[in-house]
Amino acid sequence: MRRYIVRGVPLAAPRLGVDLLSSLNLVATLVKYLSIAFLLPMFVAVGVGDPFWPFLAAAVITLGAGLLVQTVTRNSDRVGIREGFLVVALLWLLLPAFGALPYFFVGEGSLSRPLDAYFESVSGFTATGATIVTDFGDLSTSLALWRQFTQWVGGMGILVLAIAVLPRLRVGGRYLLHSELAGPTELERFTVSIRDAARRLWVLYVALTGIAILVLSIFGWTGLDPAMDVYEAASHAFTSIALGGFSTQATSAGAFGSATQWALIGFMAIAGINFLRLYQAMVQRRPSVVGRDQEIRLYVLLLLLGSGLLLAELVGTGVEAGEEAVRDAVFQAVSIMTTAGFSNADYAAWGSLAALTLLALMFVGATAGSTGGSIKVLRHLLMGKLLRREIEQAVHREAVIPIRLSGAAVNERMLRSVAGYIVLYVAILAIGSIALVIESRRGGIDVQAFEAIGAAAAALGNVGPAFGFAGPLGSYAPFSDVSKGILIALMWLGRLEILPVLVLLTRTYWRA
Amino acid sequence: MNILLIGAGQVGATIAKALYEEHDLTVVDADAAVLSELSFRLDVATVEGNGASRRVLQAAGIANADLVIAGTSRDEINIIASMFGRHLSNARTIVRVANIEYLEAWQERQIDVDFMVSSEVETAYAISRLIGVPAARQTDVFADGQVQIVEFDVPEGVSTRGIVGVPFRSAHIPADSKVAGIISGDRMTIPRGDDTISPGDRIVVIGSPASAKEWSRIFAEDLEQNVDDVVIYGAGRAGLAAARTLLEQEVRVRVIEGSYERASYVAELLPDVRVFHASGIDPDFLERERIGRARAAVFAMGDDRKNLYAATMARLHGAKFTIAVVDNTAAIDVLEAAGVDVAINPRSLTAEEIVRFAHDPRILQLAMLEGDRYEVLDITVRDDSEFVGKAFRDLPTNDSLIGAIIRDGNALFPHGDDMLLPGDRAIIFTESENVATVERSI
Repeated sequence: MRRYIVRGVPLAAPRLGVDLLSSLNLVATLVKYLSIAFLLPMFVAVGVGDPFWPFLAAAVITLGAGLLVQTVTRNSDRVGIREGFLVVALLWLLLPAFGALPYFFVGEGSLSRPLDAYFESVSGFTATGATIVTDFGDLSTSLALWRQFTQWVGGMGILVLAIAVLPRLRVGGRYLLHSELAGPTELERFTVSIRDAARRLWVLYVALTGIAILVLSIFGWTGLDPAMDVYEAASHAFTSIALGGFSTQATSAGAFGSATQWALIGFMAIAGINFLRLYQAMVQRRPSVVGRDQEIRLYVLLLLLGSGLLLAELVGTGVEAGEEAVRDAVFQAVSIMTTAGFSNADYAAWGSLAALTLLALMFVGATAGSTGGSIKVLRHLLMGKLLRREIEQAVHREAVIPIRLSGAAVNERMLRSVAGYIVLYVAILAIGSIALVIESRRGGIDVQAFEAIGAAAAALGNVGPAFGFAGPLGSYAPFSDVSKGILIALMWLGRLEILPVLVLLTRTYWRA
Repeated sequence: MNILLIGAGQVGATIAKALYEEHDLTVVDADAAVLSELSFRLDVATVEGNGASRRVLQAAGIANADLVIAGTSRDEINIIASMFGRHLSNARTIVRVANIEYLEAWQERQIDVDFMVSSEVETAYAISRLIGVPAARQTDVFADGQVQIVEFDVPEGVSTRGIVGVPFRSAHIPADSKVAGIISGDRMTIPRGDDTISPGDRIVVIGSPASAKEWSRIFAEDLEQNVDDVVIYGAGRAGLAAARTLLEQEVRVRVIEGSYERASYVAELLPDVRVFHASGIDPDFLERERIGRARAAVFAMGDDRKNLYAATMARLHGAKFTIAVVDNTAAIDVLEAAGVDVAINPRSLTAEEIVRFAHDPRILQLAMLEGDRYEVLDITVRDDSEFVGKAFRDLPTNDSLIGAIIRDGNALFPHGDDMLLPGDRAIIFTESENVATVERSI
C-alpha cells in the first residue's frame, strides 16, 4: 500500500472524521439549558405544596453535567453536517435521560423504576405520548405538569430556541434546523438567515401555545367547560401544539367537555401544518400560500377522509350517533394522523374498520415542517407523483418528466431520499413489530400481531396510544423491559427520522 | 441618415449591405480583418475597436449619428453600446439580443432603447408563420394588461373569414378589438371603412388579451384539420423560443433534446411541453413516439449536419413538413436540396428585421409607439370635454382612434353606441400632429 508523505512526515493511521469533542461540547451546552426548564414545575410545586426538591436536584444535576462535559471538551466552530448527525442523535438520547430524573426522584407509582422513567421521558421529549402510567392518581400536580412540559420542550422548543439564540450555532445551525423541521421542507426559500428562521419559528410556536392556553382558559372561566382551568389549559396546550398527546387525565381529552375537544381538534390540525407556511400565512399575512400548498391540501383531504371512515364505522355499527359521533370521529382521526395521540373515546372498542383506518392514519403523519412525526403527507404526495411518473415513463421511455410540487420542480435527489425513507420506515416498523412479538412471547405476554404492529407504528410514528392494552385508555406498562427498550429505540428513530441514526452506523461516517 | 453600426459579423454585414447605398454608414468591429474585407465590398467607413468602449464610439462619430444599430452577437456589448448612444447622441437605437429576458425587460420599458430584436424570437415567429399559426408580436400593454397593442403578420394565402380582403365597414372584427393600423410594405395607414387587410400586410390591433387570441386564430389555418403537434429537435435557445411561441398559439409541442441537463431544464421551465431525452435519430424511438405523425418537425440542433440527418430520418418516418434552423448560410441550399421543406437562417431574419426598421423610421416609432408620427395617448376625460355624452359613432375620426377606455379600473372596448363619460381613461391611437387637437377635445 502506498503511504502518502507530507513534508517528510508520514500520515498517521486514519483519523476520526468527526469532531467528537466539539459535538459533545455542543450537546453539553444544549443539555445545560434544559436545567432552566425544570424551573416551571418547581415553581408549580412550591405553589401547590408538592415537594420541589426533585426538580431542583434534577436542575442542578443537569446543569452540573452540562458544565462538566463542557469543560473537559472544547468549543470549536467546526460543527458541520457531519457533527450534526451525532449531535441530534445524542441529544435525543440525553435530554430524556436528564428529563427522567424528576420521575425517578419522586419515586412513587408507576414511574419509579429507572427504565419506566426513561421510557416516559423519551415518550415526552420525542412528543410521542405513549405512557407507562397506569394510575394517574400517582402523578402529583407538579410532576404531571413536568410530563406535559417535556413534550413542549421536545416538540419544537429547545433546539429551535438554541439555534435562535446561540451564536455558535450560526455555523452548524442549518443542519440542526433541518433535522428539527422534520421531513423535506423548503427552508432555503424561506429566509436567508437560519437564525432568523429559527427565531420566527420559535415565536410562532410560543404564540400558538399562548393562544391555545388562552382559549382553553376562557372555556374554564366562562363555565363552558367546568373541568378546565389554567393548569389544565396550559398542560393541554403544551401537548397539543407540540403534537405530543400526553394528558393529565386518565381518560385524556375524554375528561373534558365537547367545547374543549373541538378546540383541541383545531389546535392539533393547525400544529400539523408546516410552520414555515403558518408563519407566511399568519405573520406575513399571506394566507393564500396555505391554500396553494399541495401538501396542505392533501393533508386536509386525508383528515376528512379519515374522519369520514371513522364516522361511517361509528354510525354504521350503531356505537354512536349525532354530534358525539362526528366529534369522536374527527377528534380521533385528527389526533392519530397528526401524531398527537390524544383520545376522547376508547377507540379500541370500535370495530375493525375503525382500527384499520386508525392504523393507516398512523403512517400518514402531519405535514413536513410541523411538530408531528411519522412519514408525513409530503412524502406520500411525492411518492404518489413518483409512481405516476413511473407509469407514464413505461409508455414514453425517453420522456423527461420533472415532478412538481405546488408548481416548482422537485430535485431528483430529494425524490430518491423520499422513496428510500418510506422503504426504510416500513422495514424498521416490520423489524420492530416482529421483535415485539418475539419478546412478548418469550415473556409470556399476550400481544397479537395487530397490536404489535400498532405499538411499533405508534412508537416509530411518535403517535402514542396504540391498540390492545396499549390503547387509548391503557398503558405500555405491561410490556417487558426488553420490549420497552425496543419501543424507546423506535421513538428515538422516529424523532430523528431514521437517517441520522443509520448514518452513525456506517464506517465512512467515522473515517476522516 | 448617419448610421453607426456596431458589429460586422453575419448580421452586421447583411445590414450594412442593405443600407450602405442610401445612408452614410460607419461600422465598428473588434476584428480588423473582417472590417477591411467589408470595406472592400461596400462603401462604408470602418472603425476598429470594442463596441462597448466609449472612446471607440466617440471616435466613430456617435455624436452625429441618427441611428445606432448594435448588432454584435453579444447582448451585453450591444446594450452598453446603445446606452452610450442614448447619452452621447440623439440617435435612435436598435439592439440585437439573444437573451429573451432582455427583450421582456425592454417591453416593460426597463431597458431604454428604441427597438430590440432577438434572433431567437424572430426565428420562432418565422417558424410559427411557416406552420400556419402566426404569432402575435406584443408591443405594449396598458391598464395592467387589460389592453394590449399587438401586431400580427397576415399570412399569404390566408382565407377570408370575413376579414381579409373585406372592406372594414362590413368586416367581422373580433369583439373588444380595433385595427389601429395596417403596415403594407413601408406604408402605414389608420384604416377607414373602405380600407382592407391584404395577405402579407402587418396589422396593429388594440384590444383585450382575449381578442388578441382570437385574432391569432383568424390568421392560423384550420388547426382542427391538421390537429397534430409540432416536434422540435434541439432545446437550445432557438428551440426553446420556438416551443414557447408555439405554446402561446396553443399548439401541442414536443421537444427532443440530447443533453439530459438541458432536457430537464426545459421540462421544468415549460410544464406543457413533453420533453424527450433522446438523440432523435433512433428509428425505434421515432416509431414508438409516432414522431412522423407530427404536423411539422423543426430541426434546431445548432449543427447543420445533424439537422440534415435527423430531418431526413424524420421524413422517412412520415414527417410531412420539415423546417431547419441553419447555422451556416451555405447550408440553406444544401438542406433544401436534400428535401427539407424550409431552411431558415436566424441571422438573416434578424438583419432583415433591423433593416426593415432602419428603412422606415415611422415603423420604428410604431414599435415603441412613441416619437413624432404615431402616438398612443392615455388620457383621462375631462368633465367639460366636448365628447362626453356623445355616442362613439358620432365622434370625429380624423386620423385617430379610441382603442379602449378604462372605467373604474376595468377595460372597455367601445362600440358605436357606447358613450364617453367624464373620468374615463381613453387609450387613443393617433397621428402625432393630432395630439393637441385630441387633447383639447377630451
